[in-house]
Amino acid sequence: MKAIIGVGMVLALLVIVPSVELVMAAGDTPGEYLNRVDVIWSLFYRLMIIAFTVGIVVSGMIVWLVMRFRESNPKAKPTPYEKDGTW
Amino acid sequence: MGNHSTWPEWVYVGVVVALMCYVGAEAWNIERIIEHVPEDAELIKVTGQQWLWTFEHEDGTKEIGELHLEKGKAYHFEIYSKDVIHSFNIHDYVVLMDAVPGRVNTVWFSPDKAGEFDIQCREYCGLIHYNMRGTLIVEDKGA
Repeated sequence: MKAIIGVGMVLALLVIVPSVELVMAAGDTPGEYLNRVDVIWSLFYRLMIIAFTVGIVVSGMIVWLVMRFRESNPKAKPTPYEKDGTW
Repeated sequence: MGNHSTWPEWVYVGVVVALMCYVGAEAWNIERIIEHVPEDAELIKVTGQQWLWTFEHEDGTKEIGELHLEKGKAYHFEIYSKDVIHSFNIHDYVVLMDAVPGRVNTVWFSPDKAGEFDIQCREYCGLIHYNMRGTLIVEDKGA
């Protein structure tokens, strides 16, 4: 459990805290001239990179799980429950 | 159950939560930046009604179906509706804001290219919605 909290804190320091700082840093200063097209499309590209990366990891993991633990895989071993026939 | 390591699961959960935080914070940040109107932006009242757009400049000049703006200047739109919900859209400049009866919505932008651009209603507003269009004419300074 301590390790989990440790990992959580490291992640918080690395990602969550900078993200919050990024948001707060915008402040309430008057707006500057900006190109909406560039700003919005670059946000879209950044978020799409994350979306596709997560999508690839998740779908890859599902495919691997299905292949690895299918019944016909010679490497697949029955769980203790299946082995004993008791639940 | 119970005698295997749960580390990978927790790392996985942590990474996903961190990514979601980043996505939310980044989108929120950009939205805040985009909503900050420059101080010298000119106010233009945009009114949508079935099935045309009218524009009123700060000096009282009114235009129907056509909007003349100056390149490189910032414009702050106040968007009104006289009847049903419309949506004011200048596609080439990624300007999109609903016009809701009884409510004033705002959006700003600064055209950086001279030329003619389409203005279009993006919310189905009745029979002739498809033709609720206008033209944005961006002119060089002093033209």
